[in-house]
Amino acid sequence: MAVGSFFGSFDLSSFINALILGISIASIWLIAALGLTIIYGTAGVINMAHGEFIMLGAYSSYMLQSYFGLPFFLCVPAAFVIVGAIGLVLERGLIRYLYKRPLDTLLATFGVSLVLMQGVRLIFGSDPKYIAVPPMFTSNFQFGFVNISAFRVIVLAITIALVVALWALFYRTRFGVQVRAVMQDKEMAASFGINSDRIYMLTFAVGAGLAGIAGSLFGVLNIVLPTMGAGYVVQAFLVVVVGGGTLAGSVVAGGATGELQSIFAYFTNDTFARFVLYVLIVVFLRIRPQGLFAPSAKRR
Amino acid sequence: MNIYYNVKAQWAAYGAIFLLLAVVPMIVSDSFLLNQFATYGVFGMLALSLSLCWGFGGILNLGQGIPFGLGAYGMAMTMQMQTQDASNPMPPFMLNNSLDHLPMLWEPFRSTTFGIILALVVPTLFCLLFGGLMFRARVSGPFFAIMTLAMLSAWGTLILDVQPYTNGANGITPPAPLKLGELIVDPYSPEAYWSVLALLFVATVGAKLMTQSRFGLVVQAVRGDAERVRFLGYNVAGYETTVYTIAGFIAAVAGCCWVVLTQYVSPSQFDTTFSLSMVIWAGIGGRLSLIWSIIGAFLIQGAQSYLGDTFLSTWLLVLGGFFILVVRFLPKGIAGLVETILGRLSTRQKRNGADVAAHRLLSQPGE
Repeated sequence: MAVGSFFGSFDLSSFINALILGISIASIWLIAALGLTIIYGTAGVINMAHGEFIMLGAYSSYMLQSYFGLPFFLCVPAAFVIVGAIGLVLERGLIRYLYKRPLDTLLATFGVSLVLMQGVRLIFGSDPKYIAVPPMFTSNFQFGFVNISAFRVIVLAITIALVVALWALFYRTRFGVQVRAVMQDKEMAASFGINSDRIYMLTFAVGAGLAGIAGSLFGVLNIVLPTMGAGYVVQAFLVVVVGGGTLAGSVVAGGATGELQSIFAYFTNDTFARFVLYVLIVVFLRIRPQGLFAPSAKRR
Repeated sequence: MNIYYNVKAQWAAYGAIFLLLAVVPMIVSDSFLLNQFATYGVFGMLALSLSLCWGFGGILNLGQGIPFGLGAYGMAMTMQMQTQDASNPMPPFMLNNSLDHLPMLWEPFRSTTFGIILALVVPTLFCLLFGGLMFRARVSGPFFAIMTLAMLSAWGTLILDVQPYTNGANGITPPAPLKLGELIVDPYSPEAYWSVLALLFVATVGAKLMTQSRFGLVVQAVRGDAERVRFLGYNVAGYETTVYTIAGFIAAVAGCCWVVLTQYVSPSQFDTTFSLSMVIWAGIGGRLSLIWSIIGAFLIQGAQSYLGDTFLSTWLLVLGGFFILVVRFLPKGIAGLVETILGRLSTRQKRNGADVAAHRLLSQPGE
């Protein structure tokens, strides 16, 4: 806690613990940012409702589990489908009219986030909900002096799997080629017969679905509340902004910010660490305003 | 010619609205209600500052709560220190947090003058520094909006965290009203209302004059196309920083007034919801029009107070839905609607659309 006395209390094993916790924090930041990355990276939409998509993912898992008795590991893909479908409806009903006005997508999606938050509060009430997981995941792993909860390892594993899957989707499939073509030059892509409207629609739905997966996992790590999304959206945006809007950028940025947060928190405390980190990000953007790995595509 | 663009008519409208607001204390005798109206004046200042920054400068600022909150904390600390004396030098909450002497941070607030100056200067300097950093790096548009949001949440967590200095989530509740020399500012008096209104009036007139000046024209050109203005040899970052800082200063003044009126400040002034609701005021009222942004703040805050109790559970739902509709169909807010209606009226009279088209060049919807 005390900044001045950390040399006295410096302890290698607990520092390594902090580093490992940092990897876990990084995976949480990254999984929250994945959906935002592909939505922003592809269509340039600033989706302020992303946090509420995460919240919807948590609530859909909760609902499936407590009303239909679905086992937790089926809730995760189900959350992807449900929130993805909600994202699809939102894109068709609202976002597609705003692609030419990026600031207005930010405003409109903020309106959406208000509606979703209040809507969920009306349906489920504002008392906290809990998602149960099989007991083996609530235990802690212990390797020597390193101690980490099993569920955090699972979140890390799912994050890695999702990054690999997204990489394969963008760089190894026909759809991915189309997405990257639209990202680089929409008009040119259209002249090669790519339906950019459809590409935007599908990437938005996939991005929303990813937020759903993140939500179903966060619902286990924390309690499920209608307001839970607000905390994640700023972090997720920072990862996207620092990374420059590309998948690789988000992975590196998520890793770096999570690790730094954990190291600062080791020396001071959680909230102060977050403040220092945010200030560092502002300074970082002064030096590299385009982010870590900005696409060399033309400016929109 | 659309009367909406007529500068004389605009000044007349401003005068009429402020006259109307000035007679409110003669009609309303309930001092509690008057105090509430005065806080609407504070919200009006915030909406004005956002209209200046976002509507005229094209800089969407989701962190207007920072200068507002910093100003409010500065004022609250000043007012708190006015009630402390030699026998009782420390605010009670510090004793509860087991501090044994007044922290350095609080020392300057012993002097009322110096405290108020600090409450205004610190937020302004922050905006200058942060805006300067960001705009010189050519961070703009949505990216700047996100960074202001991040900064806002950073300040919020910091103020929550240093509980011994700020009383954390409980905030600061100065026990007595502000004393300026011999004068005690009663927050429930008509004089307090008129003072806030006068400040709002000065800010509005200043902002309006600014938008009509050469400086204002360049700022609007930056909104239209920053790259072109840069190629014409203007220092775009300088103009952006200036307009952002002026908006921050107005917000800091609003923060000071807020604490004088409510005798209360807490980290909730740094909530993202509060800063975003300022954006909603300006957005629904019409960000391109100073006065309509202020009216937007009055309308929405008024509706929230009076309808909020009836539709307690659905108010956010209604507000969010309404905001989506405004963004989708009325990018210029209610002001845009008024502009169109007045335009229809004048073309019906004269059948001369050329003037209107020429004026449209200045203000284009949603970029």
